[in-house]
Amino acid sequence: MADGDKIIDVEDVSQRLGENQILKGVTFAVRDRVRPGTVTGQIVGLLGPSGVGKTRLLRIIAGLDAPDTGKVTGPSGKPTFAGEVGVVFQNYPLLKHRTVLGNLLIAGAANGLAADAAKKKANDLLSRFGLDARASYYPAQLSGGQRQRVAIAQQLVRQKTILLMDEPFSGLDPESLGNVMSLLVDVANMDELNTIIVVTHDIRAAMTVSDTLFMLGRDDPKAKPPAGAKIQKAYDLVAEGLAYRSDLEQDPKFLALEQEIRAAFQKL
Amino acid sequence: MSLANALLPNRAVDRGMLVAVAGFWAALALVIWAVSPFQSLPGPLEVYRALGTLWWEHGMGPELLTTLKLIVHALGFTVALSMLLSYLTVIAAFRPVVAAVSKLRFLGLTGLVVPFTMMTGGGYSLKVVLLTFGMTTFFVTAMAQVVVEIPREQFDHMRVLGASEGRILWEVVVLGTLDKAMDILRQNLAIGWAMITMVEGISRAEGGIGALILNQNKHFHLAEVYAILFVILFLGLVLDYAMGVVTRVLCPHSVLERMKR
Repeated sequence: MADGDKIIDVEDVSQRLGENQILKGVTFAVRDRVRPGTVTGQIVGLLGPSGVGKTRLLRIIAGLDAPDTGKVTGPSGKPTFAGEVGVVFQNYPLLKHRTVLGNLLIAGAANGLAADAAKKKANDLLSRFGLDARASYYPAQLSGGQRQRVAIAQQLVRQKTILLMDEPFSGLDPESLGNVMSLLVDVANMDELNTIIVVTHDIRAAMTVSDTLFMLGRDDPKAKPPAGAKIQKAYDLVAEGLAYRSDLEQDPKFLALEQEIRAAFQKL
Repeated sequence: MSLANALLPNRAVDRGMLVAVAGFWAALALVIWAVSPFQSLPGPLEVYRALGTLWWEHGMGPELLTTLKLIVHALGFTVALSMLLSYLTVIAAFRPVVAAVSKLRFLGLTGLVVPFTMMTGGGYSLKVVLLTFGMTTFFVTAMAQVVVEIPREQFDHMRVLGASEGRILWEVVVLGTLDKAMDILRQNLAIGWAMITMVEGISRAEGGIGALILNQNKHFHLAEVYAILFVILFLGLVLDYAMGVVTRVLCPHSVLERMKR
């Protein structure tokens, strides 16, 4: 895969839910980013106000729901299907009757990984995510942050290059937020082809970790019946010089863009 | 401080205080019973002596074994039937069948004795069928609801992991609800145990604790009747406790989930 090649292509996706048009003509592409001399994955922020249809779009990209019209294709050029793309849901669902290690092993078994290989991979991931000491714990014994890390690790047992995350920054204190953002960057950069699509309404967090932002919203949110949401604007943060830096939040350009996006948010 | 906590609203007490409070109420009940002026209520000593008589002279031990065999037999059938029906609710085509079985709980057992006698030939088989029917209708009602209420997210979570529908059924529906199934089974065991005297009374030839109490009722041996009631209550509590232990062994996470709540 070369720089600029499409990893995910969302073409003219629309979906209705009863009388409500949720999505209407959503079109965007996630492209491979190549930085010579480094292993750089992609982090794409899919921003939008609450209730605009972000999770609906995530389910379609994940292959869990079919769009009424349009299609979503993966790196192979074929439509995505459930199991091809990793998803970390908002509440980090885990199998409550399995231990942390058991949850990871199930992910290996579900993907046809041999038991030994799955165990090795699971232990590697637990170690990498600082969860070795929690391997024998049940989900009920974990904190929210630990559950999130287990949920991400579970998706990585069988290497999937695309990971969708639904509101990963929701309800976090500043320290946890920083940890989650670092974790996302680490996971993305584990492999050149790794691509994380973060669905969120947290503008600053999305801007901090992403290399590309897409803003999902309706043309007129007060219209009755509401029109479906589509991509209103895309931001190439790499081209703007607002990616791959740790001092972004001090950059006046970053702050100005944040204000611009916040203002645009009010109208969606 | 701990005693004050036991007397004030919305306070937690430690285990020692809980035992002390329970002991106090038990002692009070025993005193009230001992000094009760009601002629129809035999005293504690009378009941104690009657228990000895029942055990040594009326073969209460073997009767209890007969009853336990019956309840375990019926419980086995109930679990097999109810779990199968409940898990079938994930298939739309079977939902009307499951709903119909659930509605049969309004029938009651009395009117079913005749058709079930004709089907089974009566005796032990009839009792097993009656108990199984009684427990299954309630078990299916509760368990089917548990299956229906599994969040869609749980299924989707397994799907995005790449699991087959068979594995999803096993992990999410069967194993994922096992703790709740055990709790429901525990409740249904209590329902079955409460029905036991009525069911054993239908055909007394095979004996059992239900037949024993009805025979003592007939002769107005009140002390013996109360003694049997105590035994029924005690054994019911032992069975309930045993089910709780089995649940904790099979589903250790269920204890953690409760602690979290």
